[in-house]
Amino acid sequence: MCKISQSQWLAAAILVCLCQTTGAQAQGRPGSTSRFPGAERPTSAPPPGPAGPLPRTPDGKPDLSGIWNGQRPLPHQPEPDLLPWAAKIAKQRVENYSADDPEARCVPGGVPRSTPYHTEFVQTPKLVLMLFEGNIHSFRQIFLDRTEHFKVKDLWYGDSIGHWDGDTLVVDTVGFNDRFWFGMSGEPHTTQLHVIERYHRRDYGNMDIQITIDDPGALAKPWVFNRVSTLETQIEMTEYVCNENNLDPSHLVGDSKFGDSK
Amino acid sequence: MALLITASVPACGQEPKSIPRTAGGKVDLSGVWIVNGSNNLPADPAYLPDAKKKWAENKANLTKNDPAAACLPNGVVRITKLPYKIVQTPKLIVLLSEGNTHSYRRFFLDGRPHNLDLDPESWTGDSIAHWDGDTLVVDTIGFNDKSWLDDTGKPHSEALHVIERYDRPDFNHLQVRYTVEDKKAMSKPLIFTRVFNLAPNRDLKEYFCAYKGLVSLK
Repeated sequence: MCKISQSQWLAAAILVCLCQTTGAQAQGRPGSTSRFPGAERPTSAPPPGPAGPLPRTPDGKPDLSGIWNGQRPLPHQPEPDLLPWAAKIAKQRVENYSADDPEARCVPGGVPRSTPYHTEFVQTPKLVLMLFEGNIHSFRQIFLDRTEHFKVKDLWYGDSIGHWDGDTLVVDTVGFNDRFWFGMSGEPHTTQLHVIERYHRRDYGNMDIQITIDDPGALAKPWVFNRVSTLETQIEMTEYVCNENNLDPSHLVGDSKFGDSK
Repeated sequence: MALLITASVPACGQEPKSIPRTAGGKVDLSGVWIVNGSNNLPADPAYLPDAKKKWAENKANLTKNDPAAACLPNGVVRITKLPYKIVQTPKLIVLLSEGNTHSYRRFFLDGRPHNLDLDPESWTGDSIAHWDGDTLVVDTIGFNDKSWLDDTGKPHSEALHVIERYDRPDFNHLQVRYTVEDKKAMSKPLIFTRVFNLAPNRDLKEYFCAYKGLVSLK
């Protein structure tokens, strides 16, 4: 299909920014470089999804099944307490307009990176699937039938086990590589990364997501923040194929070590 | 022959595992499945002249022309020897693929008709499905003309229409009967069967293909 790359999405965001708020300045962290749009932190909550009662499965659990819009950040969330080496890399990446972002080269975005694209949740009692429309048209499996992690390492999506804490699906993931970025703001991580995602479908159309990023190799303390996602009721997911005519790197304006940016 | 008998008769005191069924009474196709034998087509399609020419050209340039070599999807008919996993719910069945692009197909069982508005031509098409007794029938159209039908470069056109009939004849086997129709490329449909073995102690591993090798995957 004709796909919109993340940088085209970013370009659209820049246009919106230029048209709507000519005087707006990127709000950087104190003592940090200004952020470019896309790596910017939001100043308001996104609009809510459709109202209605929470659907449940026959066994009484909240039914997360459905097509969900890309997870959106919320305002006023804590910034990561990065160790000096990690802060230095994040600063360099932001200053370089995330030109080296591996995600733009069609490798998996890892966890817990959000994208502008849809994710379909498919729920069974023992397994929850996350089917991604983009960045790459791949999937994660969340196993609810075991409580121990497999001894795996160097994975993009890690090994995810889940359990229900009341009405919240808690997803615990380890076994990562250190190659993906959490987003365009470029915070790095190590293979000690441990991510806990808490998915709470509050009602028919709204999912609250709390994310804990724990990585003693890159963070002075765990980074906890919240996001929301809304149910997509109008359109189906498309077949997004990143490697087909990928124009993303050629739209990146920084100096790419891969030699494929502008 | 003795070996065959040994393989088909359960050991003393063991009941053969029956075909699992879902709470709704349907055959449960869930599991990790690996193709039994070759992943290539067992027979050649009855190609029309243009398609025959294209096949010859692909055969002469296997590496250069292979979409999979450029990390592009295999499509539907072309499979790998790596495992596949079926996740079954009443209204949606998902076929996950370990290999090639580590992606998925969705079979819609909610009664919807084909809808090609969003993706008129895609690698994996639009798949609607229904149960015919204990057989899951999957009907797929809406393909592009870029994928191959197997590793040997067999082409198809965007008129490709694939019907797959999934059966679980016993606990350990999945049988898929294919009708591959392509009026622009073939003079008659190609009909064949594949058998997959259950891999009870195996789940899908991560498998990714790197864009132009720029990002190290290891």
